[in-house]
Amino acid sequence: MVKKFLILVWLSSVLYSDNIFDKKCVPCHKDLPTSLQQMFMQYIKLYSSERNVKYVMKYYLKHPSKELSAMSDLFVDVYGIKDPTKLSDKELQKAIDIYWDRYKVIGKLK
Amino acid sequence: MSVSKSKVTKSILKSEQKSLFRFLTLYILLITFLMVVLGSYYFTTQKQIMLAQQRATLSKYAYEHIKKIKSLHHYFPEHNQYPRDSRFKSAIFDMDYIEIFSLLDYDNIDFEKDIYLKDGYIHFIKTLDTYYLGAKYLIVEVKDDEKWLYHIYKQLALFGIVSFIVFLVLGFFLARLFIKPMRDSVMLLDRFIKDTTHELNTPLSTILANIEMMDKDIMAPKNLKKLDRINSAARSVSVLYKDLTYIILEQNRECEDESVELKELITQRVEYFDVLANTKKIDFILELSKSYIFINRDKITRVIDNLISNAIKYNKRGGYIKIILKPNMLSIEDSGIGIAKDKVPYMFDRYMRFDNSEGGFGIGLSIVKNIVDEYNIAIEVQSQESKGTRISLKW
Repeated sequence: MVKKFLILVWLSSVLYSDNIFDKKCVPCHKDLPTSLQQMFMQYIKLYSSERNVKYVMKYYLKHPSKELSAMSDLFVDVYGIKDPTKLSDKELQKAIDIYWDRYKVIGKLK
Repeated sequence: MSVSKSKVTKSILKSEQKSLFRFLTLYILLITFLMVVLGSYYFTTQKQIMLAQQRATLSKYAYEHIKKIKSLHHYFPEHNQYPRDSRFKSAIFDMDYIEIFSLLDYDNIDFEKDIYLKDGYIHFIKTLDTYYLGAKYLIVEVKDDEKWLYHIYKQLALFGIVSFIVFLVLGFFLARLFIKPMRDSVMLLDRFIKDTTHELNTPLSTILANIEMMDKDIMAPKNLKKLDRINSAARSVSVLYKDLTYIILEQNRECEDESVELKELITQRVEYFDVLANTKKIDFILELSKSYIFINRDKITRVIDNLISNAIKYNKRGGYIKIILKPNMLSIEDSGIGIAKDKVPYMFDRYMRFDNSEGGFGIGLSIVKNIVDEYNIAIEVQSQESKGTRISLKW
């Protein structure tokens, strides 16, 4: 009985504790020299508001190109452009929302 | 309707007063409007100058502040302390006008303007080209010290008072210029009457004396009727002559007052005017009690003569004149044409005549008003058009 319960807890943590952003986005960015926070700051420097940033990000992830990238040319030349996302619209939106909430500036300044 | 006591008939006519009042009211309204418009324009201009001066200072503050925000952008989130400055308060907003961070005291921001003053705070809005921390708008806020406002109010008050006084004096001279033609015509008529009055005395005395001397017993009834008409006309002219003489010679002359028994005087004057009343078949109804008044006899005679003369002149044929005398009260009522209510205040003005069908200069009631004012006698007019007029004196 205890064994069954422990297996269930392990399965839940694997399947549900990591959200879509942590599961589908973070692993690929782990090896890049620029952090997700730095990329986020780059996005808000270029696109300012939540609405704008989310819109541009969603478009880029679906149709990545050198011209649309928020990163520098040097960065793109060295590390290339990512492949178009395979996530559904809903999943992609969820992942972007999590990204925004995690790294946003609003509410963090003192 | 009660007529207020005044000396207007002597110095300035009511119609003159009305014209003067209208002119001055219009003039003051226009001047006030002009001053308010100019004052508002001056105020707005001074405010713009003040904001232009502030813009230079606040631009400098904004430039310095953007550098600090840029630095914070690079070190965020390790450093999350928003930069402060003792000289001003600030806030940052994203391109959708959502607040990122604010230290403002007054957060009602108008993003349409780049600088403005509202509720004692000056806001300068700087649009950023690069959105550090996501900020597109940087708001720099300083509290308005209102020194400029105090300076403007002081200048406006000083300039306003001085120019208002200057315009008022100018308006007074303009008003005098405005009523000059009216005054000139009144003076011309005065001079004309003065000149002609002297020429009336001798022929009038001759006519009246000869009528009295005529032997009416031997006169044929047809001629007697004609003589009555001559007598009546001569007496009308005589009343007019006495009025004119009063205006020209007697009104400013020192005279002795005495206690006058009015019942006897009124009876005499009614007898005198009886001939005139008979020509229009007007009956006198007399209700006379004994009553005294302390006054100059000639002056009260002029008052009674004029009131009776007018009651005859403006009466209808076959009408009546009712004279009631009680202690301290005299009323003379006629069944004549009456006067419109709105014209009553002007009926005592010199040369004012409402009915041109009858002759006269329009000076009779002016004399009456002059005398009753002099002796503090209250005069009251009740009149209904086509029904008649009652004039009451109370003392």
